[in-house]
This record gives sequence, C-alpha cells and structure tokens, in this order.
Amino acid sequence: MIDLRFDHVSKRYRIRQEDATHHSGWLNKMRSRLGPGKDFWALRDVNFEVTRGETLGIIGHNGSGKSTILKLLANITTPTKGEITVCGRIAALLEVASGFHPELTGRENIFLHGSIIGMRRREIHAKLNRIIDFAEIRPFIDLPVKRYSSGMFVRLGFSIAAHLEPEILLLDEVLAVGDMTFQRKCVDRILELSRSGMTIIFISHDLAAVERLCERAILLERGQVAGEGPVSALTAQYLTRVQPSTEEQPTHSAGDVKIASTQFFDESGRASLQFRTGYPLRARIDYEALKEVSPAVFRLQFFGLDDHLHCEFVSGLDSMPLTLAPGPGAIEFLCDEIALQPGIYHMDVTAERADGSALDEKRRCALIHVGQGKQVHGTFYAPHTWRAVATGVRSSDEQPAGLR
Amino acid sequence: MQNVSTSMAQTTALDARSTKVIRPPAFNLGTTLRHIREFSDYTDLFLTLSMHRIKVRYKQSVLGIAWAVLQPVSLMLIYIAIFSIVSQMPSDGLPYAVFVFAALLPWTYFSTAVSAATTSLVAHNQMVTKVYFPREILPLSYVVVGVFDFIIATTVLAGLMIYYHVAVSFVIVWAIPILLVETMFVAALSILFSAILVRFRDLGFAMPLILQLWMFATPVVYPLSKVPAKFRGWYVLNPMVGVVEGFRHVVLQRMSPDLPSLRISFLISAVLLVFSYAYFKHKEATMADII
Repeated sequence: MIDLRFDHVSKRYRIRQEDATHHSGWLNKMRSRLGPGKDFWALRDVNFEVTRGETLGIIGHNGSGKSTILKLLANITTPTKGEITVCGRIAALLEVASGFHPELTGRENIFLHGSIIGMRRREIHAKLNRIIDFAEIRPFIDLPVKRYSSGMFVRLGFSIAAHLEPEILLLDEVLAVGDMTFQRKCVDRILELSRSGMTIIFISHDLAAVERLCERAILLERGQVAGEGPVSALTAQYLTRVQPSTEEQPTHSAGDVKIASTQFFDESGRASLQFRTGYPLRARIDYEALKEVSPAVFRLQFFGLDDHLHCEFVSGLDSMPLTLAPGPGAIEFLCDEIALQPGIYHMDVTAERADGSALDEKRRCALIHVGQGKQVHGTFYAPHTWRAVATGVRSSDEQPAGLR
Repeated sequence: MQNVSTSMAQTTALDARSTKVIRPPAFNLGTTLRHIREFSDYTDLFLTLSMHRIKVRYKQSVLGIAWAVLQPVSLMLIYIAIFSIVSQMPSDGLPYAVFVFAALLPWTYFSTAVSAATTSLVAHNQMVTKVYFPREILPLSYVVVGVFDFIIATTVLAGLMIYYHVAVSFVIVWAIPILLVETMFVAALSILFSAILVRFRDLGFAMPLILQLWMFATPVVYPLSKVPAKFRGWYVLNPMVGVVEGFRHVVLQRMSPDLPSLRISFLISAVLLVFSYAYFKHKEATMADII
C-alpha cells in the first residue's frame, strides 16, 4: 500500500533581484517585481514512493532540496510541476515553537498549537494530560510560555506533535533539540510510533540518526534523487559527494612546512573514510619540510557538521618533541578505539611551531563517517576493560562506585 | 529510476483513507469549492485562534477590554469638539454625540478589522512558512475580533441612547442584516489586502491614509443628506455608505434603511468576497515562498 507518492515533481523558485543597485527607481522596481526573475529549480523531476508503515529517510547536504520536499509534503507550498499524492492525515514536526504565543499559558498554547497542526479541540482535551506529562512541565502549565526555558518550550512543542497521531509524520532534525535524556525519549517515541505502523518521513543530514530510524533512504543532490536504498548503501555515495575538494579549501601556510596529504585507515588497515565507534582509526599525514623545523607540533581536530569541535589531538605534547628534517616526511596518528559517537565529522589538520604559530593548515580536509560500533548509551564511549574481582575481606572498599 | 515510474503507472488505486493530491496551483471553480470544504475542517482552529486573539490583546494591555470602547469613544469626543462645538454640523435632528457614535461603531469595526487583517499574514510569517492551515484563517480571525469589539462597544451606544432619550422601534432588527453585509465586505477586503501585502508591502504604508480618506468618503461625521444629489450616484458605490447610513437609520431614527444603497453594498460585497477568496487561494499556493 502506497501512502505517499512523488510523481515527477519539480519546484521552481523565482529569485528576484530586488536589492540589485541598478534596479533603483520605482519603475524599475515594479518591472523587476512583475517581470520574470531568475529561476532556481530546487527540485527537478523527483520520483519516489513510501509504503505504509515504512520509515523513509531523506538525506542530502544543505541546498540539496530536502527542506523543499518537506515544505511540499506539509502543503506549505505547491509544486511547479508534477503531482504529490498523500494518503492519510499528515503532520509535520518542523521548527517546534513556531505556533506558540508567548503571552498565553502552556495549557492555552497546547490548544492553539494543537489546532494549528490539525488537531480537534475534543482530541486535545482527551490527550491533554498525556501531553503535559510527556513534556514534564506540569508545575508550569498555567504560566505564560514566555516564562519558560528554551528546553521547556521545545519539550512542549515536541510533546504536542508526538501525540498528534497522524497517519504520516514528517520529521526534520527534531532530534537535535533538548537535552540528551529528552532526545532519547523522542527517539523512543518515534520508534514506538513507527512500530505502531505509522508512516514516517525523516529528513536530515545526520546519517547516523537516519541509520538509527530508517530502513530505506533516498539521497538528494542538487534537487534530484541521486540514490535510493538502505542507508548503509548510500553512506559511501553521500560521503564522496559531500567530500570537499582540497583545492577549494583555504590554507594558511608559512611556507616552511607543507602538508601534502592526509589519509585515513580503518580497522583492517585499508584506506577508508568509514569507521565504527570503539574500533581502530589510523591517520597518516604526509608533509614536506622546506627547512628544518624544531620543535614542530601536529594537530588533528574532529568537527561535527555543525562546526562543533568534538575532539582534538596534538602531537608532541605528551611525548617527545618532533623535529622535521628538510624533505618529505610522514607522521601517523594511531587510535585503537575511537570514542566518537556515530555521525559525520570534518577533519582539520594543522602543523605548527611549539609557540603555536601555524606552519600549514588544511581545514576541512576530509569528511569521515563513524557508524554503529560498540554500544554507546549516554554521551561518549571510552576504551575500557572489565575484570572479575575475587571477593575478599575488604570487598566493599575495592568495589568501584559505579558497579553494582 | 525506470522501474519506479512504471510501477507508478500500475498502482493507481490507493485506499479508503482520505487521499490528497497536491498539484501546481490552478484557477477554477472546483478547487474553490474544495477550499471551502477544507476551511470547514479547520473551524476549530479558526475559533481557537480568534479566541486567543481576544485573550492575548486583553492580557497584554492594562486597560484590557476597555480598549474596545475607548477608541470609538475618544473619536466621538474629538468629532464632537470639531463638528459640534467649533462648527455646526447638521445631524438629522439628533444629538451630535449619538449621531456620530452610532456611525463610529460600524466604522471602527471596519477600519480596525481591515487594517489588522491586512498585516496578519506578514506579521505571522513564522506560521505561514512553518505549518499548513488554510491561510484565510489568519485575516478572518481579526474579523471575529472586530465583531467582538463591536458588541462590547454597543453597550456605550445603548447608554448614550438612554441618556439622550432616543426611542427604539422594531426596525432595529434591520441592524443584523446590515452588519452581515458589512462583515461580508470586511472579510472580502481583509483576505484581499492581506494577500496583496505579501507581494507589495507598499500597501502597509498606504493603509492609514486609505482608511482616513475612506472615512471622510463615508457619512460618519456628517449625514448622507448633506451630500449633493448630483454626487450621490457615485457616492453610494462605496459599500460603507449603505452600511453606516443604514445602521444609523434603523438604530436612531426608527426608519427602514435606504434599500437601494444597501442593495448596492450587498452586491459589491458579495462579488468582491467571491473574487477575493479566489484570488487569495490562488496566491496562497506560493505565499510561503515570497513572504
């Protein structure tokens, strides 16, 4: 049974050059407002189907047309060509707080927001208590929402939408909100809805999140479907497409040392950009020194796609200082168990002097994907071992605090 | 890609769930009827939103509900000062205060509802770009607020009429169809102007001026009888003429409304409402792209 179908859908946006300087004067303005603008096709001939009960992921980097698809599905805008068939009640969980009014109380906002996203008053009445409890804001429910913390705001918004029980649910990066515990609760709720047979469309650039929720995904690229299939099969394609070319990256070089290339190797020793949490990662940095530099330091940084620095490793800080002899050379970063959470990371590689002045810098030189490896519940993974302890006389003192 | 499109041709039959097809915007009568049916599905939102508009306004302000009364009352005092004390404006034999206030009620309803509704889509662009609902709900919710304020302000009119011993007769029930005609006109302009403002913000700057001129083109501060007969034919094409003058006739003067001018008001409002709604729904499809 098909719940949702995109049939040769294209969407064109008109870009009007309103702030162009040569369009001064009201007559020119009028002409540019009414005349044909520059066309931009956000989607071109997109076809796909979603069967009932399926959770489909739509991945693609910024500007690939993801949010246009979501807007079309949510009926916020209409296609320029083609046809979209939606079978069943559809609800979008876009930016959560958009339908809230700050002066009204939480309770009043539940009714307002609920009816904006398509719930009936009767329905909201019936679910009111469950919504309040899920959002964990019972003590504050009769306060105006302008007094709420941003976390409470987001929880309330998600809670309303999560209880809407549409037949088709649209999700857009919602998992990026709230604290960790609430995120987990959201994921659980989505999985629960998915198991109950709801059709879900999940739009994201977070491959790991898509992998967690969807069995099938489509990859969008410049407004067209570039691939379709299980998430794991699209990952490689997504990563190679996203891969920035090194020539375009801004590099700062003092001239004495040049970073020639950076390569990554996975657990089996092959050059790869795919890794798993808790498994080995090896990075090899090839450089060329024009004259001797001593001491030198290499810096390897892992950034999330949101440019948040996840971790940084610096050579020569905890071991002996490096001396770079003139000519080509290489240095390796070895990690037996990478502790990164599943996700996509940008890499920065920097060579610098001990005083911190940069010798060479390769920003965003690679994009790696960390997939599901060893189980992580909570924020991070750490290399560790377990051992059995013989229970002796002083057992209670020796037992680690977290072990029970 | 190939097999996707062939399988699409085969699976044409979906199932019993409500099926919606989203197509490029088209302009025809069938879609307009579908839009009306869709609007009726959203009556809960329409009512909730209108109720919240009223609530929010009175929550945010100190004087609260008194504002519904304060605006027409202060206008009345200004017009008494100008047209009754400074110059002598005829008022069909009625005390000028009642004469002008009875006209200010339907006028204030018109002007506040239309000006608030005009900016409604632009002011709530967050909602327009994030969630779908029939967009006409936004401007129309301000019409409900206007009706609410109107009802509050009638208490002042009743007080004035008692104070000046103005008698009432059964013709006052004419006030209901007159207000229905006005509401049609207000609704038509509200959805039309709000859709235009999305494309042309100039209308926002022009609105205060338009409403100011419009008021003097309507018999609010002066009686219809003072308009020279040779201009009347054009003058009554303003739908607010039949409404305001008619309201004053049936409430204060125990006279039936001037039917020819009221009929013109009704016809213009009805035609404009149909046109505005069709125009609005046509523009609605791409509103979120340009707002």
